[in-house]
Amino acid sequence: MTGKCPEYLNDLNDYLDGTLDQATCAEIQRHLGECENCRIMIDTLRQTVTLCRGGKPEPLPPALEARLNGLLKTRWEQKFGKRPG
Amino acid sequence: MDEKLLVRRAQAGDFEAFTDLIKAHKDRIYGLALRLSGNSQDAEDVVQDTFLKAIDKIDQFRLESSFGTWLYSIALNQARAMLARRKQEDLKPIEEYLPVRVAADDDSGGHGHGSHGLFEWKDPEKLLEDKELRQAIDKLIAELPYQYREAFLLRYDQGLSVKEIAAIINESEAATKSRILRARLALREKLSEIFETRYDREVS
Ligand SMILES: [Zn+2]
Repeated sequence: MTGKCPEYLNDLNDYLDGTLDQATCAEIQRHLGECENCRIMIDTLRQTVTLCRGGKPEPLPPALEARLNGLLKTRWEQKFGKRPG
Repeated sequence: MDEKLLVRRAQAGDFEAFTDLIKAHKDRIYGLALRLSGNSQDAEDVVQDTFLKAIDKIDQFRLESSFGTWLYSIALNQARAMLARRKQEDLKPIEEYLPVRVAADDDSGGHGHGSHGLFEWKDPEKLLEDKELRQAIDKLIAELPYQYREAFLLRYDQGLSVKEIAAIINESEAATKSRILRARLALREKLSEIFETRYDREVS
């Protein structure tokens, strides 16, 4: 590690998310080439998001789905009144 | 069918139009609620309260945003209200999850001495298929202090921009960014602990 390491922790997220200015990006990239710890830090931070992202949306539990339909219908009729059809 | 048309129909009292509108968002809102609350009971309450609220407020929706975004901010408010009621804030402060030196805020970086082991994680894509690990990860997220969990999930689970999140949670962009980063660092630490144990187990 070099004295440069500590500087950009706050920029890491922007770097990883691609929202950092070019110059700082280039600086970080250069540093990553020579600092194993920072490279692993960056890699694992990237993987953290991959792993923590939900993946597929959760389907509603069938019991909730059934209950919900009745509840919403009732609330709707309270608001708008019963409608034919 | 066209969303605007459905909204107008719903606002005129057409229940079918309303159910069509929410259909596309149900699973996503449940998923978010599940991850925000950390348990299915609370998540179900949030989903239910969100749609009831949406009925109450449907006349106020002015098509300034997409219906999904509107529904979404209702869901977030419901999640916050629910968690406030349950007083889930007696969780440990974020500092306890962070590498020692970041927590101390001495600007010396999140790696090095303070950080948990720095080593490569093998095959993260393959790890995603591991059900036990997925559950462990959900638990990690659920244990984060709420404001960090919320910022992190909105950014990476839901793909909102920092600017959008800042507006929703009513914080500055800088504060929002800091929450997202801290959540990410904290999760990295915890994952690192998990993998350290796993790899040891595999090796021995
Ligand atoms: Zn470094």
